[in-house]
Amino acid sequence: MSAMRRLIEPKSLDAMSPLGALLVYGALIVWSLVVLFPLYWIAITSLKLPIHVSAGPVYLPFVDFLPDLHAWRYIFVDLGNDTLRPYLNSIVVALVSTALAMLIGSMAAYALSRLEFAPRLGSILLFILLGALMIVAVAGFGVPWWVAAAVALALFLLLMRAAGRTMRASLGNGDILFWIISQRILPPVVAALPIYVMFQTLGMLDTRTALIATYTTVNLPIVVWLMYDFFVTIPKDLEESASLDGASRFAIFFGIVLPLARPGLVATGLLVLILAWNEYLLALFLSSANAQTMPVLVAAQNATRGPQWWYMSVLILLMILPVIFLTLLLQRFIAKGMLLGAVKG
Amino acid sequence: MAVTSAAHVTAAPPERESLHDWLDRQAGRLFILPAVILILGFSIFPLIASAYLALSRFKLAPGGYTLTFIGWFNFKKMLTGSQQFHLLGTFGAITLVGWVTILGTVALVVWGMLRYVRSGRATVVGWIGRLIMIATALALAVLFAVNLGEGGQLGTIATTMFYVVGGVAVQFAIGLGLALLCAKPIRGRSFFRVLFFVPLMVTPVGIAYTFRMLADTAVGPFAPLWHWLGFAQTSWSADAWTARFVVLIGDSWQWIPFIFIVLLAAIESQPRDEVEAAQLDGASGWQIFRDITWPSIAPVAATVVLIRAIEAFKIIDLPNVLTNGGPGIATESLTLHAFSEWRALNLGGSAAVAYILLFLSTITCVSFFNFLVKPMREGRA
Amino acid sequence: MKIRSWLAGLAMAGVAAGAMPALAAEFDGVTVNILTQTGPSISGPMQARAPEFEKQTGAKINVITVPFSDIYQKLLTDWSTGTNSIDAAVFAPQWMVDYAASGFLEDLTPRMEGDESLEQDDIAPFFREFSQKYAGKTYMMTFDGDFHMIFYRTDVLEELGKQPPKTWEDYLDIAQAAHGKDMNGDGQPDFGSCIGKKRNAQGYWFLTSVAGGYIQAKGTSEGVFFNTEDMTPLIDNAGFRKALEVYKKTSEYGPPDELNLDVADTRVMFVAGRCALSMDWGDIGSMSVDPSMSKVTGKVGATILPGSKEVIDRTTGEFVACDANTCPHAIDGLNHAPFAAFGGWGGGINANADPKVKDAAYAFFSYLSQPAQSNQDVTKGETGFNPYRLSQLEDVATWEKMGMGKENAESYLGAIKTSLNSPNMILDLRIPQNQRYQQVVLDTAVARYLAGELDVDATVETVVEGWNEINEELGVEEQLAAYKATIGAE
Repeated sequence: MSAMRRLIEPKSLDAMSPLGALLVYGALIVWSLVVLFPLYWIAITSLKLPIHVSAGPVYLPFVDFLPDLHAWRYIFVDLGNDTLRPYLNSIVVALVSTALAMLIGSMAAYALSRLEFAPRLGSILLFILLGALMIVAVAGFGVPWWVAAAVALALFLLLMRAAGRTMRASLGNGDILFWIISQRILPPVVAALPIYVMFQTLGMLDTRTALIATYTTVNLPIVVWLMYDFFVTIPKDLEESASLDGASRFAIFFGIVLPLARPGLVATGLLVLILAWNEYLLALFLSSANAQTMPVLVAAQNATRGPQWWYMSVLILLMILPVIFLTLLLQRFIAKGMLLGAVKG
Repeated sequence: MAVTSAAHVTAAPPERESLHDWLDRQAGRLFILPAVILILGFSIFPLIASAYLALSRFKLAPGGYTLTFIGWFNFKKMLTGSQQFHLLGTFGAITLVGWVTILGTVALVVWGMLRYVRSGRATVVGWIGRLIMIATALALAVLFAVNLGEGGQLGTIATTMFYVVGGVAVQFAIGLGLALLCAKPIRGRSFFRVLFFVPLMVTPVGIAYTFRMLADTAVGPFAPLWHWLGFAQTSWSADAWTARFVVLIGDSWQWIPFIFIVLLAAIESQPRDEVEAAQLDGASGWQIFRDITWPSIAPVAATVVLIRAIEAFKIIDLPNVLTNGGPGIATESLTLHAFSEWRALNLGGSAAVAYILLFLSTITCVSFFNFLVKPMREGRA
Repeated sequence: MKIRSWLAGLAMAGVAAGAMPALAAEFDGVTVNILTQTGPSISGPMQARAPEFEKQTGAKINVITVPFSDIYQKLLTDWSTGTNSIDAAVFAPQWMVDYAASGFLEDLTPRMEGDESLEQDDIAPFFREFSQKYAGKTYMMTFDGDFHMIFYRTDVLEELGKQPPKTWEDYLDIAQAAHGKDMNGDGQPDFGSCIGKKRNAQGYWFLTSVAGGYIQAKGTSEGVFFNTEDMTPLIDNAGFRKALEVYKKTSEYGPPDELNLDVADTRVMFVAGRCALSMDWGDIGSMSVDPSMSKVTGKVGATILPGSKEVIDRTTGEFVACDANTCPHAIDGLNHAPFAAFGGWGGGINANADPKVKDAAYAFFSYLSQPAQSNQDVTKGETGFNPYRLSQLEDVATWEKMGMGKENAESYLGAIKTSLNSPNMILDLRIPQNQRYQQVVLDTAVARYLAGELDVDATVETVVEGWNEINEELGVEEQLAAYKATIGAE
């Protein structure tokens, strides 16, 4: 009986009973296998010859089949620069767009968490109306886009105050915040073609800049949302005393607030980095040769001779490794800060 | 951008201000301006341009292309015309389950409205928002009922909703379970934490192809097991529902880590002292979860579900790679639908599908935000 | 970097000058961006040939690759919006009309007429006269002979005592007899017939291959998709209905996940020894001799697509028996209509590219197609290029050497030859926005039919309605004119 009881009851409050521990560890190990098996399969597939894949499953290198480095050779030697270029593109695009999104997004989130904004409904409606007219003019009547844009902007500045006066209702910070977040709802497939045309007009297709600008924008909402929650939790006392000492808002933001928000920045940054690193659909639209990124290269291994599983596996591994490395490096922060803002919200 | 900052923080401007002071006074606007400009440029412009595209017909012409304005034609074709089966599915006779679904939705809606009226805070805007939501909810309930009825088939709307609702539910349940386990005093916590995070790092296209390898019933790793179980003559890919579930499994593998990691952070920041006090009082694990843990993580949970749902509406890589939307159109999501129309040069039709997706996901997500996330967040503040 | 590449250029020029003074540095400093499909099968031979060509001419060939499904859009958006970052492309000739009619493609007729090294007379007439042309002008240069054939396992048929299939009834009969037998010695039952029926893949082409023999009998110009009188879809007739039935019937003897297999999967399965019969382009032939993937070397035969004893009457839509009048091109009383599905990869040049770049692109394409290069490339297992020159079909010895065995090589080349020589070959649908007709309407309907969502009548109705709708949207008259121009109808 007492043995039975010891099995079920914990020794102390913070410890678990042996049976409970068994169940917990059992579940954790099962899930570890669920996570690891697909990765293991990718790893060994990268060492397989086509016949090892097509003639039924083989599981263990050296036991079931003789591993072969042909796929690695193809990716690194035969393709060489054709692998390196997308890889560098991915690194540059992901890092720069993440940095920009973090900077711009944190600034906006900070402003929203500290100041009151009240844009007039009238001005907003006017803006949308002018935007629509501009598109109709460009698409339907062949007006050059820069003319239309200039006219629309001028009209907007002229009529803004009048519009604001006629419709006095205004929006609050919450509305702005939600508006920004809602941009994430926009499916990329809605925006892809117009964005393509836009960059084409600017002559920026197939450049890293185009991808960086696009990724910065699509990831902004996430940054704003998560960082807003985080800034709300940071006490205002420090900022107020700094302000009394004559520090400018910029100095306060960069000197005091951002360092305090470091765990949140790291966690959010990592999430955004992963999203940018893995993005496929927009990259497919906006890049062809020079700016092609890794996900496009992975998908491209599906050819008329069937998906080239072995090449694909090598590429996927190449894509995972740096992110894992980065996660391990930043582990400390993530533990503390993953979406912490929301936690305290 | 028509943004006025109430100067409640900064002091009143001095008579002659320097550039530095001016900058400081405008700091609020300057802080938010870059974000607003970027979003206007990349979201509002494409949105309006797409709207125009959805109402026109794209045709190649010598030297380029022409866009002809054709009104609602593209929408009509999908909602009532020859492509109705694709978007809305095939309508069957409503079965008992269908009627239960419809009546259940109606009951829920009536209950919600009564509560709203009784709360005494009803406003015109509130009513408009609610009416749109009610109409959408009822339409979806009826759509499901006829799609699942005798001889009915799911269209891309219903399939997408299945991915969103089913996927988020599965991912939330498993993610929460793992987070609760990892919050226990166990060895190797940080190891599990990093390990469980890994699937999120794999590019979705890569995951899709990996699952295609894994799910192969002839030469995949589980093929021997599949054959041993006596399924050699069947395949998951030939049946609509099993195919949808395989897509769901791949999607879940990738996204459980996201929910897991966020909920873990939330659980770890729950009030330790309350938990300890409850433990001393001899409360069971379930009681602690129900009374302390859940209330403290609920706002985060609502937020994370919303973020996940927003992303789930855009699912494309998995069905595209695993089944190309087949068998039939069983696994085709709205984004994939729009994408294949686009590939076949039906740009107007593609934009119209995308717009329907936008409409659906906006209403769902906004309703979810307003009626669940917001009250929960405000309730705690 | 700069100095190094300059030095390299100089060295190359020197080499070229020594070897071929005539061509030396003709295209020095010219860079040609050529877009094509990713993966070794198509871009492989191009990338392999590029250095030789660069050495001889000084041009720089930049092969850009994107996944197959994105080539069409990529080219279209690049060319129609005036971006013009792509100078030339190797793509599916099906898309030629969309590009050519809009003026994006360079007319290659004068260049090719003056190019003797191409040896045009050696190119199979179907490709020379139909596939490369639109409205009488040549816009593409073919590198690859693509059409459907039936592949069978000679050892399995021998064991069963069967002859290669001549009709679809034969095909089903063999498939049924072979289904469930172990054909590769792994102890697992294998399949009678493997056809890639995955959605959004090649399924609609395979269906057309089944239907072709029932519908088209009077030569390529008769057409198999629309009535050339009034653009009525040739769908609501006994032939198409029968094809639907046969097509579905083949699934009974196929792998359980056949609806999720595309042709890339089935050909890998075939050479892994898991299928007795398969419908495919020529690729199985060259793959079967590739030791890294094949278990069936020397056991693969090929034959022309099965024929039919009866064809439909265009006015009534009902079957009539074949005679000299109804089936003028019949072989042994059977009407065969080999389907040049897809039509074979070919090169086209952006009309708006720089003239010098156009010249360089043309020179490279010509180099690829010249017998000296092409005859090697079509026999390599790893390339996706299949024979399209008559001389390539005489060369039994090369295929034999690769391990195919004399009998198999003769059967393979024989099947190609009979198909290519058939005046009743089917040209794939090439009218503007053909992707919408085939990939969206036909493919979706067929996928739903195979999945059991639609029956035969509903499938026919859906396709007819969908095709008519697109015709009306784009203009019946315009589409009819384009259709007649592609198949060379009066």
